[in-house]
Amino acid sequence: MLEGWDDEQLLTALGEAIKARDAVPSWFVQTGKNAYAWHNVDAELAQLTYDSRTDAHEMAVARSEETATIRALTFTSAHLSIELEVADSSLFGQVVPPQAGTLETRTKAGMTTAPVDETGFFTVAPIPPGPFLLRFGTTDGAYVMTGWITL
Amino acid sequence: MGLRASRIRVPGLAGHHDPAAAALCTRAAAGDQGAWDDIVERYAPMVWSICTRFRLSDRDLEDVAQNVWLLLVEQLGKLPEPAALAGWLAATTRRECLRAATASRRPEPLGPPAAAVTGEEVIMAERNAALRAALAELPASCQSLMDMLVSDPPYSYAAISTALGIPVERIGPQRARCLERIRESSALLGLAHIGGNLPGGDPDA
Repeated sequence: MLEGWDDEQLLTALGEAIKARDAVPSWFVQTGKNAYAWHNVDAELAQLTYDSRTDAHEMAVARSEETATIRALTFTSAHLSIELEVADSSLFGQVVPPQAGTLETRTKAGMTTAPVDETGFFTVAPIPPGPFLLRFGTTDGAYVMTGWITL
Repeated sequence: MGLRASRIRVPGLAGHHDPAAAALCTRAAAGDQGAWDDIVERYAPMVWSICTRFRLSDRDLEDVAQNVWLLLVEQLGKLPEPAALAGWLAATTRRECLRAATASRRPEPLGPPAAAVTGEEVIMAERNAALRAALAELPASCQSLMDMLVSDPPYSYAAISTALGIPVERIGPQRARCLERIRESSALLGLAHIGGNLPGGDPDA
């Protein structure tokens, strides 16, 4: 890699490498390290595939203006989707295809659990003030988890 | 004097074949938190540098960081090309930043060029990571000397001599020895083929 570099060039490259590292706030690095806590959490990660805020145009076409003001999110995994709607202080959700199970709401501070009925509906109230993620457990013992959400 | 991006073009964000990244992914996938921390420290500067092009609040930045690394945790052991980890991270970071910028209804990111991540940047990030790893392998005396030599603004040899307790006339030889150790470092072996990508000069000169 360093063939043809003289000492000055190598020092310049080292300086750039150190500068790039020093520019990063320590909390940003720590956030990355903390993510490893999820390594042992048994769950399939569902990706955010729809957000009414980023897909506002499609929303406006597809729905009336009245409902278009509701924030809606969809997380999709290979096996199921978790659809969310934000209403005031509550979060209403449905698992698709509809099925019963349990829903964990995880924040940095801890975790709460709520039932999911056989039609796949669940409610999270109040909405956590900071970042949170949801983990749905099926009756078969499988888990699907959303990414971090901040509302 | 800044580093020049070379004229080497890399298609997409594939990045270079980086065996260190592949080895770290394997260890982290097997449950090694230390390997995970190394991955984060190697690539956080690149992730951060991409994030800074978007006008994101601290809260958005935290969301992006959490999701980028969460996605990687989930993909450990499943990445099709773990040696191209930097390219995967660059593409994932950019996507998460765009999503956060749009969801926050902020103004456009700093124009389309700001949003792009080039193959050169991914190569530079890999090179920077390898250089920092090589530096970390040096004896403490070499690390202190290198830190002072590359600081901006630079220290005089007299100041270095006082700070590190090395006679001025021995700084030059010591510097050469430390640089030689970096050149021989195993941390750089995997990147041997980035040859012509010279810092501070024209690769075609």
